[in-house]
Amino acid sequence: MSSGGPERPQLVAHVQQALSYTLFDCKWVPRSARLLCLGSAARGTGLIQLYELRGGRLALLREIEKAKPIKCGTFGATSLQQRYLATGDFGGNLNIWNLEAPEIPVYSVKGHKEIINSIDGVGGLGIGEGAPEIVTGSRDGTVKVWDPRQKDTPVANMEPVEGESKRDCWTVAFGNAYNQEERVVCAGYDNGDIKLFDLKTMSLRWETNIKNGVCSVEFDRKDVNMNKLVATSLEGKFHVFDMRTQHPTKGFASVTEKAQKSTIWQVRHLPQNRDIFMTSGGAGSLHLWKYEYPAQRSKKDSEGAEMGVAGSVSLLQNVTLSTQPISSLDWSPDKKGLCVCGAFDQTVRVLIVTKLNKV
Amino acid sequence: MPVWLREYSWRQTASAVYLSLPLRGVRVTPANIFCTDQYLKVSIPPFLFEAILYAPIDDTNSTAKIGNGIIFFTLYKKEVAMWDSLTLANANKENLQYLRENAVLKAHEKAKEETEAKKVTKQEHKKYALEATMKLEEAERKRIEDLKERERQRVTKELELWKKQQKDAEKQKRVQKEVELHQEVEQLKEKKKEKMNKTRIPNEGTSKTRLKPTKGCHGSYSMFSENLKEEQLPAPRSAATIKINFTSRVFPTALRESRIAEEEEWLCKQAEARRTVSADLSELEDLKEEEKNPDWLKDKGNKMFATGNYLAAVNAYNLAVRLNNKLPLLYLNRAACHLKLRNLHKAIEDSSKALELLTPPVPDNENARVKAYVRRGTAFCQLELYTEGLQDYEAALKIDPKNKTIEKDAEKIRHLIQGTTQDS
Repeated sequence: MSSGGPERPQLVAHVQQALSYTLFDCKWVPRSARLLCLGSAARGTGLIQLYELRGGRLALLREIEKAKPIKCGTFGATSLQQRYLATGDFGGNLNIWNLEAPEIPVYSVKGHKEIINSIDGVGGLGIGEGAPEIVTGSRDGTVKVWDPRQKDTPVANMEPVEGESKRDCWTVAFGNAYNQEERVVCAGYDNGDIKLFDLKTMSLRWETNIKNGVCSVEFDRKDVNMNKLVATSLEGKFHVFDMRTQHPTKGFASVTEKAQKSTIWQVRHLPQNRDIFMTSGGAGSLHLWKYEYPAQRSKKDSEGAEMGVAGSVSLLQNVTLSTQPISSLDWSPDKKGLCVCGAFDQTVRVLIVTKLNKV
Repeated sequence: MPVWLREYSWRQTASAVYLSLPLRGVRVTPANIFCTDQYLKVSIPPFLFEAILYAPIDDTNSTAKIGNGIIFFTLYKKEVAMWDSLTLANANKENLQYLRENAVLKAHEKAKEETEAKKVTKQEHKKYALEATMKLEEAERKRIEDLKERERQRVTKELELWKKQQKDAEKQKRVQKEVELHQEVEQLKEKKKEKMNKTRIPNEGTSKTRLKPTKGCHGSYSMFSENLKEEQLPAPRSAATIKINFTSRVFPTALRESRIAEEEEWLCKQAEARRTVSADLSELEDLKEEEKNPDWLKDKGNKMFATGNYLAAVNAYNLAVRLNNKLPLLYLNRAACHLKLRNLHKAIEDSSKALELLTPPVPDNENARVKAYVRRGTAFCQLELYTEGLQDYEAALKIDPKNKTIEKDAEKIRHLIQGTTQDS
């Protein structure tokens, strides 16, 4: 059900496909009308399915089965010609696959002791500068950054101090990759911690706690100077941090929105407009938001230190597609408004968001 | 006795009868007039007018006009004929009675039929209204569906167009690559021709690769491009580790795991325990200041336990308990002493008291609880009450599953139990 006046963007369900396995992640293949579905079959093996959008339906092109269920995948660190898929699976293995020859992975490492919950890549697809790198966050509490050219050892490892009880890392994201040296990784944990690691200085740049477990973090653009970070959490809340100004004690300014009664599983920014993002919820709903910048993005506090000013968020549209949580969401980088979402009711849906030009 | 009204006048035409009935001094309402197809009655107590009509009339269409002191009836005849008189002449009492009752019955039936007819028409009206609304809603829904469908088709067309563009672009690229590759191969060929002793095979080999427009080419071409690119990419980062701490768990905890209520309770209890001093001042007057402090006594007791002087330790703990009987650690340590002294029952008592004081179970008092369970378990086993002992060991294991000694001891006890059951 889409509501609202004639000028508001509408979320139209374009194609729906029922699957016979649990779907954990879905991704568009860059520069094509194809999408990948990653998940776990009933017998405990991993599945990668490649679909193509043809007319009004999805045609299955390829199905690849792997030993362990696959939790997440990304194209972020490959070149446009190669389009290798990096996946993290339930056994803690990071693999990079060439989808034309998927029997043997191009790169493989048992990176973590437990399931890799989240993966992100940067430096590929012609976006951003610097070495292509992949970051994985796992239930064993560590966040590791990998370079596909270096075997077996990560190039950065963010792990708990000895003796500290570990918290699951639920989500990771790259950002600030605007030149060859700069890069940050943001990680969200299940106890509400958000930590920002600077890879250039190999240090912890900022941390905060938002009380509820962090389900998803994303920068609005990976390849520019850090602008905004959205972190979504349990109990229907999400926070938008303004990352341009860091105050020495207060950190980054943020605005909080309580949108849905259930967990917000994912947030994804529109690749063509970084102020529009979509959140997917545990009640099977999708919300489309727009961020408005404040009149002045930074101001001086009483001691004269710069602190950021957060703007405001407004809801553009929402739609309920399913009764089960929508756990994965991806915008097509090539066609504005085309997105795919996968839900726990074993369906993958392709949606079209209209009128984004007028927003 | 009703007063009969006999003054009336009437005239008739072929199809109608006009009757005027004067009524002076009474108010007439339509309820007082009763008319069926052959009987007419006007009853306004105490006045009564009654007429058994000569021939049947059409009572639905007939009218009665109530005017000032007079009722004017217009009765339409069912059959067009002239009546000899208004009423039937020879009507005896029984006939009259029968006719009256008949009339009433007929009137009732008529009323019933009318209500039924009304109901039916009402139903039909309702149905009609419902259908009309449904049609309207359908139309609205269809309109929205059409809009969506149009939107979808438009986007599909755009997508197909874009896909075609992609394919064309790819083809172009491929053709270009082939041309370039061809040129490269040509160059290679020339180079090879320059070398004297080359057979045909390499040429064929190269030409084969040129003809097959597959990823073989792709691979080699992209290898070239990769090599170039690699020179531009920075080297992999030098490996480093960042150590992190998580927000500590006392407060704030992750809300979904919050044991705030219990932890608050535990802290309150601890605070209270520190404050209570159940002192019996008379006996303790001769003690030194420091000996009145339960903590100091506890430390003394610990030291004596460490040196092996268990009786002295027990004394110290006893005194401390007399001063403050709410500190669980005192009972815990005294239990250890009793174990060493083989006062097993006392050890069990003290461990139980310690466990009582160690509620609610929070991570803060985990260690203490594990110790209490283990000590009580040991005491039970030494009394040969193996099942109770095993229960306590398993409770300890539940709190601290990683402790190997507890595991081993639990195993031993299990074996013992199984051994004894087999024997008996």
